[in-house]
Amino acid sequence: MSRSLTVDPSDAVPLWKQIEGNVRRLVASGALRPGAAVPSVRDLARELSINPATVAKGYQRLVDAGILSVRRGEGTFVAERPPAPPRGEREKELEGGAMRYAALAVTLGVANEEAVERVKGSLGFLRRKRHGGTE
Amino acid sequence: MSGERKTGAPAEAAAERSLPSSSSSSLSPVVEARDVLVRYAGSPSPALDGISLSVSPGSVYALLGRNGAGKSSLVRCLLGQQKPTAGACLLFGGDAWKRRASLMSRVGVVPEDPDAPPAMTARQLSAFSAKLYPVWDAPSVEARLARFGVPAGTPFGSLSKGQRALVALSLALASSPELLVLDDPTLGLDAVARRAFFEELVGELADRGTTVFFTSHDLAGVERMATRVAFLTGGRLVLDEDLETLKARFRRLRYANEATEERSEFGQELAAFDAVRVKVRGWGVEAVVSNYGDEAFARFSSLEGVVDAESSALSLEEIFLAVAGEASPGRNA
Repeated sequence: MSRSLTVDPSDAVPLWKQIEGNVRRLVASGALRPGAAVPSVRDLARELSINPATVAKGYQRLVDAGILSVRRGEGTFVAERPPAPPRGEREKELEGGAMRYAALAVTLGVANEEAVERVKGSLGFLRRKRHGGTE
Repeated sequence: MSGERKTGAPAEAAAERSLPSSSSSSLSPVVEARDVLVRYAGSPSPALDGISLSVSPGSVYALLGRNGAGKSSLVRCLLGQQKPTAGACLLFGGDAWKRRASLMSRVGVVPEDPDAPPAMTARQLSAFSAKLYPVWDAPSVEARLARFGVPAGTPFGSLSKGQRALVALSLALASSPELLVLDDPTLGLDAVARRAFFEELVGELADRGTTVFFTSHDLAGVERMATRVAFLTGGRLVLDEDLETLKARFRRLRYANEATEERSEFGQELAAFDAVRVKVRGWGVEAVVSNYGDEAFARFSSLEGVVDAESSALSLEEIFLAVAGEASPGRNA
């Protein structure tokens, strides 16, 4: 999983937030299943060549949100039942994501119908992948 | 020296705690410069002109600046190797110049160009250094050198630059330092040695939470490690800020600018963002702004005459260029 957990230090988004967002996405897409082990702070920091405090901060946010759980002496795992994000945050995330996608579509001059079809296609792809993954 | 440390340090720590300025001893800085002035005889302008900075425990503080900016003078003062013309440098709250011997036993240093008697092997250097520190983990030196693939029995003079840097790091970490000072440690290192150096540093940070003060030409490395960044230019600190806030407020804006009846002058619309560099190009305007905000950008995008506005993130190198001007620190190394 850590291969898909990459970060871009030159991005304006802080590294801990990139880690938090990437893990959230991996869990949401089913690439990281409930109960799966995630790399230790030390290992991920070494692999990405970043300050371990940064990784720890991202992980801590995920633990606070109930997405990751720490088992003392064993490591860090995806929670058995990761919660859906709180209502307000969910709304904000959805709206922000939709706005970014809409902006991209408008910039590229994509017609509304095509833009909507693309979203449907991506949704279908992710849901199939997630479903297939749990079987 | 070890005796001096054992009796001297706690007494001073206790004295520090009773000072009204340090309400929380856990947050008192590991390194501090107070109004440091350094003037060399025969030089018209000071090498350091009123430097004040503070490195908090557990942080990774990166000092950036071109050659001649005053980095070496500042590092020497901080390590108690040089007495400032005025002002003071403190390590763990104690005067670095006056109490150098006892304070430096708590500091690990990797100098820019690690120097040692060329005939001595890393193993011999470790045995020699062990006598200078109250704590010395000789097996850790052997273990690290083995990880690095650097022979412990080869004379220092026969090692490559990268190998010498890795020996210096192994020695610096063997005293379990509370503070690690790295003076441009990866300058001139090949990719393999650089990677090994950073991996070991990350491990040390993860295991011990050591405070790090480092200077570097390697802005990509700084961007991955540092929690705080300072820019030194012409003996003055032009910037001293958490990396996260620094990267949030600097952005590049690009937009086409159409002259309208009300607004014929280009660039004025950028005032809200504190632009530090503005270039008018054929297709429009490109600017680096130092006070970016999403809301201000949304307002800006809808201004009359501003067309196709877009903002993009800046790397630390680009921010350094915008603030310190001309050549990047990497280009005249």
